Amino acid sequence: MLDPLVRDALLYGNLLSLMSLGLTLTYITSKVPNFAHSSFVTIGAYVSLAIASVLGMNPYVGLPFAFLIGGLASVAVYAFAMKPIAKRGGSLVHLMMATLAAEVVFSGILNAFADYLRESFKVYSRAFTLRDLDFTFLDLPGVFVVSYLLCGVLFVSLFLILTKTRFGVAMRATVENPPLASVLGVNTDLVYTVSWFISGGLAGVSGALLPFWIQTSPNTADVYLLSIFCASVLGGLGSFAGAIAGGLVLGVGEILITSFLVGVFGYWVVPYRPAIPLIVMSLILLLMPEGIVGKLQGQAKRRA
Amino acid sequence: MIPELLFLFDLMAMFAIYLILNLSLCLEFGYGGIPDFGKVLFVAGGAFVVGGFTGRFASWLMGIIGYDYIRSNALVIFMINTRLSSDVWTSLVIFVPSILFAVVAGGLLGYLASFPAIRLREDYLGMTLLSMGEVAKVIAHNYPDLVGGSLGVQVPDPLAWAGEWRFALASVVILAFAGLVWLYVDKVGHSPLGRTLRAIRDNETTAESLGKNVSDYRMRTLVVSSAIAALCGGLYAFYTCGVVATTYSRMWWTFWPWLMVMLGGASSSKGVLVGTLISTSTIKLINVFKDSLQPFIPFDVVWAESMLIGATMILVLIKRPGGIFPEEPQVTSGMLRTNQTNGTGESKGS
Repeated sequence: MLDPLVRDALLYGNLLSLMSLGLTLTYITSKVPNFAHSSFVTIGAYVSLAIASVLGMNPYVGLPFAFLIGGLASVAVYAFAMKPIAKRGGSLVHLMMATLAAEVVFSGILNAFADYLRESFKVYSRAFTLRDLDFTFLDLPGVFVVSYLLCGVLFVSLFLILTKTRFGVAMRATVENPPLASVLGVNTDLVYTVSWFISGGLAGVSGALLPFWIQTSPNTADVYLLSIFCASVLGGLGSFAGAIAGGLVLGVGEILITSFLVGVFGYWVVPYRPAIPLIVMSLILLLMPEGIVGKLQGQAKRRA
Repeated sequence: MIPELLFLFDLMAMFAIYLILNLSLCLEFGYGGIPDFGKVLFVAGGAFVVGGFTGRFASWLMGIIGYDYIRSNALVIFMINTRLSSDVWTSLVIFVPSILFAVVAGGLLGYLASFPAIRLREDYLGMTLLSMGEVAKVIAHNYPDLVGGSLGVQVPDPLAWAGEWRFALASVVILAFAGLVWLYVDKVGHSPLGRTLRAIRDNETTAESLGKNVSDYRMRTLVVSSAIAALCGGLYAFYTCGVVATTYSRMWWTFWPWLMVMLGGASSSKGVLVGTLISTSTIKLINVFKDSLQPFIPFDVVWAESMLIGATMILVLIKRPGGIFPEEPQVTSGMLRTNQTNGTGESKGS
């Protein structure tokens, strides 16, 4: 039905959309680019593995758990690092550094967990894949269908939460002006906590789907960190629709450009794929830095 | 040589290597406010120059031709080292241009990195530099002609003639380089240039309104600090007699320097010195006792180490964001303090 290459590209684009949706959410609310975001993705992947190999259930059952645990990890970053540092008047660089530190902590935890799974349950916990456990639907791999459904559902519910609920109004008020929102009785701390939770949850879900598509290791998502940031920057780092579009464009572009280059130069170009998001990001930032930065300039002063 | 002495010299070398790197971070982040999360790129740049150039240059100089440098690397380096072990002058002739080349390459990388970087706000700046560091790793891994891909290459040893005292002498040489860099960075900190950089860091718009060309200063800072970082990479490659692409990880060459600098105090050359000393001694001591902990935990002890390091960083950021030596009002050389109300720091001009 679908050409496997196009299918792969669309799947990757979709997973990237989910990841950059979360990143954009924390960026909008806290104004911090979260370098630990890829850790939440890997956490989701390991939830899938634990559900499938230790509990012997269908890994799709683990999606809500991946959301939950990814979200909790993200909240932990907010509660134990972002909040106290911001309270002590830490600068933006300090906050970014703290997310990098959180990434180091999570990589330790994930690797330790992988060791633990291997020793205690005799599971292949590095470079593992869950492809054999996937189902097919109309000749499409299950993960393709599920990821598009999930992306749609999550995007729509996020949109509805933001526009139709009281909490959404509180959230948008906090984004616009945190001090004013808190004066008007909005619990800004709760807003931040929830937005970090949703952000980590989105990453966790996308990570839970990752092993259905590629081999996953504790450091797999590190490679995607570049792509996640590029996709978010491409989307303007300001809107959810932008994040979805950025993820799709970059994901599809990354895979199609690579396959095109393979056709021209040969297979040796494949490992250099991470250079594509870097070049794309540099070009966007070089050619239209004002377009993106200018949009956020008013918000620059009001960080979490 | 007795093991305790070897340990001390090894610690000294590690301290000196990280001191060079951390001072470059002090220059660009502490003074200039550039959040360089891609430090590893510039360190790797210097190391890859030494890995890729020095051996080829030496074999050309000595007329060792007809070998594939990467495939017969061990053989070529063995022949070079045999010659170097009795020839001090040739060693120097090989060492000096290699280090110079590494420094120039680092500066060029910094210049390249500055193109997308200088006009950006700090969050975008951080993202871009981090991404660049990641890509450096990808290239080194997959382009074997440079430094042997994932297998790595050996590097000629310009101190082979020192025999048993080779590591001790190497430590002293690196420490001497570190001392020079420290003097330079300390001097910059107390100069008008340092004041300008601080002004840009603290308020870009104000500095610009006073006629300072912000992006030009940033570009120059990135070039100089990247050149210093490349010096660190080159010296490290010479010290370990080899370059393996996987060694140049974000953990060791971006995260650790940041931790050391934040611990000591990013904007003070004294703080960087103390932070580096504390951190490198701790790393070395942990390495000694690490293996004895292994029976007590169900996973590789390395992962416990990274959890600990990350947590330490967050703790430092929460408890002492300014480091052990927070920034004091600076006195520029030859100038009297005019603003007496602003702080109580003693005059420390040179």
